[in-house]
Amino acid sequence: MSKIYGEADNRVKALDNVTFSIKQGEFVLIVGSSGSGKSTLLNMIGLLDHPTNGKISIDGIDTTTLNDDKISSFRNKKLGFIFQFSNLLTDLSVLENVLLPLQIAGNNTAEKEAIDLLKSVGLEDQIYKRANKISGGQAQRVAIARGLINKPSIVLADEPTGNLDSVTSATIVQLMKSMAKKLNQTFIIVTHDREHFGNVDRVITIKDGKAFEGDLPSEMEITA
Amino acid sequence: MLFNQKGSLVGAVLAVTIGILVIHVNFVIFQGLFDAIVRDIRDYNTGDVIITDEFDFIDKSDQSLIRWFERIPVVQAATPRLSTTSEMNMTKNGKLIEETKISLVGVDPFNDIRASTVHETVTEGSYVFSRNSMVLGSNVARDLGGAQVGDSVKVLVNDRWGQDQIRRFVVTGIADSPGGQGFDYSGVIHIDTLRDMMSRHGDTGSFMVKLHDSSKAFEVKEFFLRSFPNEDFIAETTEEASEAQLEGFRSGIAMINMIGYFGMMASAFAIVTIQMMLVNGKTRQIGVMRSIGAKRKDILIIFIFQGMIIGAIGAGVGTAAGLGYTVYAKETKMSFNGSLPLEVTYNWEKIIQTALMSFILAIIASLYPSYRATKLLPVEAMRTV
Repeated sequence: MSKIYGEADNRVKALDNVTFSIKQGEFVLIVGSSGSGKSTLLNMIGLLDHPTNGKISIDGIDTTTLNDDKISSFRNKKLGFIFQFSNLLTDLSVLENVLLPLQIAGNNTAEKEAIDLLKSVGLEDQIYKRANKISGGQAQRVAIARGLINKPSIVLADEPTGNLDSVTSATIVQLMKSMAKKLNQTFIIVTHDREHFGNVDRVITIKDGKAFEGDLPSEMEITA
Repeated sequence: MLFNQKGSLVGAVLAVTIGILVIHVNFVIFQGLFDAIVRDIRDYNTGDVIITDEFDFIDKSDQSLIRWFERIPVVQAATPRLSTTSEMNMTKNGKLIEETKISLVGVDPFNDIRASTVHETVTEGSYVFSRNSMVLGSNVARDLGGAQVGDSVKVLVNDRWGQDQIRRFVVTGIADSPGGQGFDYSGVIHIDTLRDMMSRHGDTGSFMVKLHDSSKAFEVKEFFLRSFPNEDFIAETTEEASEAQLEGFRSGIAMINMIGYFGMMASAFAIVTIQMMLVNGKTRQIGVMRSIGAKRKDILIIFIFQGMIIGAIGAGVGTAAGLGYTVYAKETKMSFNGSLPLEVTYNWEKIIQTALMSFILAIIASLYPSYRATKLLPVEAMRTV
């Protein structure tokens, strides 16, 4: 697929004929420098944006043919999101934030499941706190729990450690890896902190809108 | 509420509340003033039904008509009245003061106090009780150089033959009605004395009929006209008889009501602005909601629901405040500068209508901001700081 922003002389090719496939249960890193197009790619996979050309198939469904309502349902059921700044709804409690994807799906009976998930990410003592009263690391754990609550096929994380110190980052990375293994879920993580993630199933490097399999040789890397 | 922003919501609720309160205050004051004028016209001058003759004076005897009316269970009392214009003069401190074109009203003292409350406007002395006693309206008394109870007033009336008829009366009372709908600009004497002076023995200008239940006025009027098909009687309810006097007031009230509804429209615009602020302030959260699967209609419902809550609380508080003001006005018999006390009523139909209208307006005012919220693209919305 390709993604082009702007028109005529102002055209910018954010993604240029990117093609790859990911298997169920893979833990995939998408790396690249700032502005390389990795977040654009994640937005495409997360159906938050449309490609200019090409298509994205998830579980055999060509998502480019879906209308807005179906895309929303698809995001709700098949995809989980973890954002750089956790993006919790600060007016809600930790538990309410985790329950939100379920409530959107019309399921109002999974409170125990949400509490168990919060316990598994180590937040059993923060469950009823307002989301704006917890630390950045705790907020990111809540975001992970929210991303997993609907048991999505794919969890998409955009710079999940980008706003955290190195100790907290390491904890979050370990948490994501363990959850991925435990639940056999596909994790696609955009990061420019390659070293934080250590060994992963697969790395896709984005450079100037093009995708390369694996880590790029050091002379091609551009530090973020 | 998902998107909790107390300051803005309180502002929106306040806008609805004030809109409703303005309408209630307008209603209490201006409708109250209108109803007070109608009440005083009815109580002092026309009764619930007033009978006149289309061409001349009523020549049926007082007693026969009074008896006829008082056989109807809903009728409380009926009384004859006769009026003409007169000239009056009196000597005060050795100085003769003359006034012309003073309305002179003849009343039947016994029946008048049963059918009218005008006798209650006598602030000094007492109401007409004998053939030579006279109650002077406060304005007439003032124009006559400060006539007081006990003074003697000379009155000139033209009789039916054009002859001057002069009589001297003793002022036994001064009438002063709050709002001026009573006999403030008239002299009041015994009806038989006036008949003598006008050479109209047995004639009556009008009959005012007071009912136990004012809402039956139309039925009584119709029954009366059906019962005397061959006479030239005119029977009118208070509002029919005072239409010319009330017409201007009605337009004024319609205009004031319109101002109230404009106020309500202004509060709807305030809701649009506040809801737009909420949408702009919560753009990132809307983006997050959309990214985790909320459909456009879910976002639409959130903001419309918010509009419903604003409308419901605003309508509730506004109606409660308006009712509080209405109760206060009624209990204190509110009046302005000692003028006539307002006739305060609880118009439940209007109260419910106003509350419903503001509730619906709050929802309508939330439609555009809600629509704007649904149009936000998740990826762009989440970039908003």
